[in-house]
Amino acid sequence: MPDTPQLQTQLDAIEARFRQRLDDELDTLDALSAQLQQNPDALPNLRDRLHKLAGSAGTFGYVELGVLARDLEEQAQQQLEATCLDPQALIALTKAGAQLRPLLQRSEQREAQPQQLDAGSPDDDRHRRIGLLIEDAGLARQMAQTLDSFGYQVIPFATPAAVQAAPSLDALIIDTSPPGNRLLEHPVFQQAPGQLPPLLIISSLDTFSSRLQAVRAGAVGFFTKPVDLPLLERRLERDFSSQQGGPFRVLIVDDDTELTARYQLVLSNAGIRVDTVSDANLLLDKMHKFIPEVVLMDLNMPEYSGPELAQVIRLDDDWLRVPIVYLSAETNAERQMSALLKAGDDFITKPISDSTLLTTVYARAQRARMVSDALARDSLTGLLKHADIKEQLELEAERAKRSQAPVSVAMIDIDHFKNVNDSYGHACGDNVIRALSNMLRQRLRKVDRLGRYGGEEFVAVLPGCSSKDATQLLESIREAFNALQFSSGGQQFHCSFSAGISACEADAWADEELLERADRALYRAKQSGRNRLCRDDGVPD
Amino acid sequence: MTALERIMHIEDDPSIQEVARVALEVVGGFTVRSCDSGAAGVAAADSFAPQLVLLDVMMPGMDGPQTLTELRKLPIMEGIPVIFMTAKAQTQEVTAYRALGAAGVIIKPFDPMTLSEQVREIWEQQHA
Repeated sequence: MPDTPQLQTQLDAIEARFRQRLDDELDTLDALSAQLQQNPDALPNLRDRLHKLAGSAGTFGYVELGVLARDLEEQAQQQLEATCLDPQALIALTKAGAQLRPLLQRSEQREAQPQQLDAGSPDDDRHRRIGLLIEDAGLARQMAQTLDSFGYQVIPFATPAAVQAAPSLDALIIDTSPPGNRLLEHPVFQQAPGQLPPLLIISSLDTFSSRLQAVRAGAVGFFTKPVDLPLLERRLERDFSSQQGGPFRVLIVDDDTELTARYQLVLSNAGIRVDTVSDANLLLDKMHKFIPEVVLMDLNMPEYSGPELAQVIRLDDDWLRVPIVYLSAETNAERQMSALLKAGDDFITKPISDSTLLTTVYARAQRARMVSDALARDSLTGLLKHADIKEQLELEAERAKRSQAPVSVAMIDIDHFKNVNDSYGHACGDNVIRALSNMLRQRLRKVDRLGRYGGEEFVAVLPGCSSKDATQLLESIREAFNALQFSSGGQQFHCSFSAGISACEADAWADEELLERADRALYRAKQSGRNRLCRDDGVPD
Repeated sequence: MTALERIMHIEDDPSIQEVARVALEVVGGFTVRSCDSGAAGVAAADSFAPQLVLLDVMMPGMDGPQTLTELRKLPIMEGIPVIFMTAKAQTQEVTAYRALGAAGVIIKPFDPMTLSEQVREIWEQQHA
């Protein structure tokens, strides 16, 4: 079972040693690449060292450094394989050392760390960095204030060039008014996708062509003036949450195990989680365990046809949303149609290139996640609804079981909420609910799952957290929430919540029971005076 | 299924060796033997009797595929899954490693928090 603080300390120590070696390594790379022009024999050594750096830098959080090292390694490899050396390429490689060092410095400024290890403390997404490229000073100020109150870090920019020079942003909001403004034609916005953060475009014109222009610049959101700021914030939140939720889950149903293995490799190399079924009898069981977001299905299997299995899946209401994509050698359009009419959403024709497979699956999975996110979220708080948070709990419990890691559940209920509604009105009550949901969302970690379980009741699922870690985390949120001042009709008041926490750390893996135990602990917290936490970790008090 | 306990990790880069050992020991609860070359791995196989081997592909001296060939000659290594770890992610290479008899491929950089889970998944596939 992971002892997270201990692990963190050990990893920190290794990281520090790696950092020390990295300095020497970059010096060596500098020296090696500098000698390259006089002495091409240095090339294999340079390649090996770049290879090593490519493998290790990313693991320690120096992601960009790792990517550049990989790129340079490939260039060196090409030169080694070439019959005669290309002087231009060699000159590029002699600058390898000099190119790498600034990336190290940049990473350090940002303290980029891919691992999220501190189970007990709030995570980084409290400080998502949002760039503003907005000329209208009034709008910029208002936007900065709103985003700041939601816990984002706002960075104003005066010019597109300044945006490019800035370290990575999580999103960029651009005001393209007044009409005729050519801001989006700036070279900064003509880069390949992936080079820029997600763009939200504000325009004074709501026309097809202004929307099209935004799409061509790579926008993920479009707003017309006057801007509905809460709506814009929700859009941001949605964009971030679609990046969350872990890797996509894809289930492959095919009796050809070799082909399946190949698809599995292609997809898992792209960071997608893949599970496979070759025996159709196990299909439904696997669906419930794995909860795929996309099903890839062979069209013709010995005992069943793809459309038959697709219909079996669709008989279950749980699986109405999951896209089913057939993999098939079938090129006859009519037969493809008839398969799609029975059930299923798309066809990929064999032989399938890696990129077609990946693009189709990715597009389907992304869309599916967006749709189920929109359906699953509560309209007041944007949190998961009752059934969906239970599903998340099942998923996390399953994952915990597999990795033998703990998982905690907190049930949170606002104290005397009826009094708030009665004294200040329902609109004010909604504000209290929204405030608590925002606070929970901002202070929990990216990996945690949060849902609105009932009227004023929330459930948080905290993977990797022991009940002690969870209690510590919730305790700090309880204090912060209790300190918040609400106002209504000139009156000021405070609210509090009680919470029950349960955890499973070794053997009791029943997720139903986790919820029940958290509920019982919540009841105890209420009974013993409210505004407090109680714990049920299976150990008698 | 027998539980996975003993993992041998063959890797020449000391930083990666350390971080993988901690990740596998602390997160996964495995017993890990780190070897810094293919030759050291082959020499230690008999005494450590690994249930699974994680093998770096590009190493000075004996590289990953050569080490795999040598390991396969040892009776104690019969049926023991070997997973390649490599910074190269091209599918053709992965397919080639599979053809060499690798049970799986883990791509570097890896996330220390999920390394154990990746290893366990491959182990379970092998024993499914």
